[in-house]
Amino acid sequence: MLTIAIAKGRMQQDALALLARAGARVGAEALASRRLAVEDESGGYRFVFVKPADVPVYVEHGIADCGVVGRDVLLESEADVLQPLDLRINRCRIAVAAREGGRGGRPGVLHVATKYPRVAAAHFGARGVPVEIIELSGSVELAPVLGLADCIVDLVETGRTLAENGLRVVETITESTGRLVVNRASYQLKAEAVGRLVRELSRVLADGAEVTGAGGGAGA
Amino acid sequence: MEPLSNIPGGMRYYFGREARLRRSAETAAMGVFDGWGYEEIATPSVDFYALFERGMGRGEARRSFRFTDTDGRLLALRPDVTSSVARAAATLFAGAPRPLRFCYAATVFRQRPRSHAEWRRQGRQLGCELIGAGGADADLEILAIAAEVLERLNLGGAYRVTLNHVGVFNGVAEQLGLGAEAREEMRRLVDARDAAALEEFLLALGRSGATAEHAGRLARLAGGGGLPAGARELLTNERSRAALDELERLCEVAAALGLGEWVSVDLSDVSGLDYYTGLVFKIYVEGSGTRVGAGGRYDELTANFGGREPAVGFVLDLDTLTEILAREGDGAENAAAAPSATVEGADAAARFREARRMRARGERIKME
Repeated sequence: MLTIAIAKGRMQQDALALLARAGARVGAEALASRRLAVEDESGGYRFVFVKPADVPVYVEHGIADCGVVGRDVLLESEADVLQPLDLRINRCRIAVAAREGGRGGRPGVLHVATKYPRVAAAHFGARGVPVEIIELSGSVELAPVLGLADCIVDLVETGRTLAENGLRVVETITESTGRLVVNRASYQLKAEAVGRLVRELSRVLADGAEVTGAGGGAGA
Repeated sequence: MEPLSNIPGGMRYYFGREARLRRSAETAAMGVFDGWGYEEIATPSVDFYALFERGMGRGEARRSFRFTDTDGRLLALRPDVTSSVARAAATLFAGAPRPLRFCYAATVFRQRPRSHAEWRRQGRQLGCELIGAGGADADLEILAIAAEVLERLNLGGAYRVTLNHVGVFNGVAEQLGLGAEAREEMRRLVDARDAAALEEFLLALGRSGATAEHAGRLARLAGGGGLPAGARELLTNERSRAALDELERLCEVAAALGLGEWVSVDLSDVSGLDYYTGLVFKIYVEGSGTRVGAGGRYDELTANFGGREPAVGFVLDLDTLTEILAREGDGAENAAAAPSATVEGADAAARFREARRMRARGERIKME
């Protein structure tokens, strides 16, 4: 049996829809329950639902064989996991955003508020811009508005939340979509089962163009 | 003040059953090495940083704990043993008849752990090195030893050895005409099995769509006991082809030895140290999400120390092995402390005389 960790929240629905088409279907009843670990109908898969940032942790330690999580989370976690498939769900980007009219006038060092401290540091580091990274865990858009930071590095889907807070995208750092990740040992020790899942998912991805979920569009 | 109850991250104690399991696994492995004619070698725990930089490559060496000697030279707590053994082979044992067969059980240190899951900063490596012997026979000897150690630890059937040959990837990178940096990025993407990103990367470098698609498939070349399907058609450059021939021969002999089921080829497994020049392999065991061992051929390493000669070796990670064995439970008989007899008596002299008599008979005792 393969254990698959799914990032809870905005990606969950699209990920489950995709997996169902690839033959790993969770019954409606199991989904409606509040259980955090459920088996699929075939008994070939077990799903565990965890916070996005925890998906690479479970997979890297081999507690989950596979996982579905955004590239943004993977970049930030620097987890040592295999990434065989871009699932093309939950497309968004990690971007630098600032208030209309620039990044604010403080000279010398740029104050950057973000949930992605490593990605932000790497981005500005590559440009030789000295920054102070201010790590926040939510409502990052508030930081420039209240004057905590000059700009933010955050996930942008539609840009609506940004606009509503008087911010606009200054620069896109990288694109992000949902990825299938696999533990290194599981990839070898359960080669057949993992291979089957990758093949089936590839087939589904080749069949339908973009997979769009029912609940997409919400959020940032 | 920092409470003394804290211990530094990545460090731990072993005691009780785990300590006994660890000891018996080490003894078993060293017994197998000895059985194949390998001589134990103990290397310095502290050595010049430059040794490891040359031996392991700069990236890996940088993970080590570093400090300076009295004269200001940079030292390191050894992060690996192979570098030091290779130096000894080229210097101390320069005149000794070949091949040299060395084995060790040694503690290694890393200031920065390899990954989140491989969190330890101190680990014990069980390893052996066969220096001065090239060709398939030497590679097979090392693989056979690795298999025997795992069987002795009752892990037969629960492990998988994945084989690759650095020539496969190097041949492709060469054919694509990549510079050092691009080549490293390509290696990273192949290792992550990220075919789509690899294609994108090569397209961005100005390679044709067909070439990128072709190379992208290198991220998916894994198979069972033999060469992965399609490998021959995909890898047509001379260097890769020669590497495939070598791998195929190895697989055939492994199958003949009855190891076919536990050995597989994964041409996308290109992680690890830069110093390998031929066969590379990784060992995975059920019950661990991280690899338990790794090895391969490193014909250029000894050249760093004065004389190029063929060499092949492998290490097992005793800490990960102990974790698997401790979870299993069926090594329990081995691991349980044998019962001991209590030595009693009012008179100290008599008591200890009796104790010494019992000890001379080899009995396990405990003083009251």
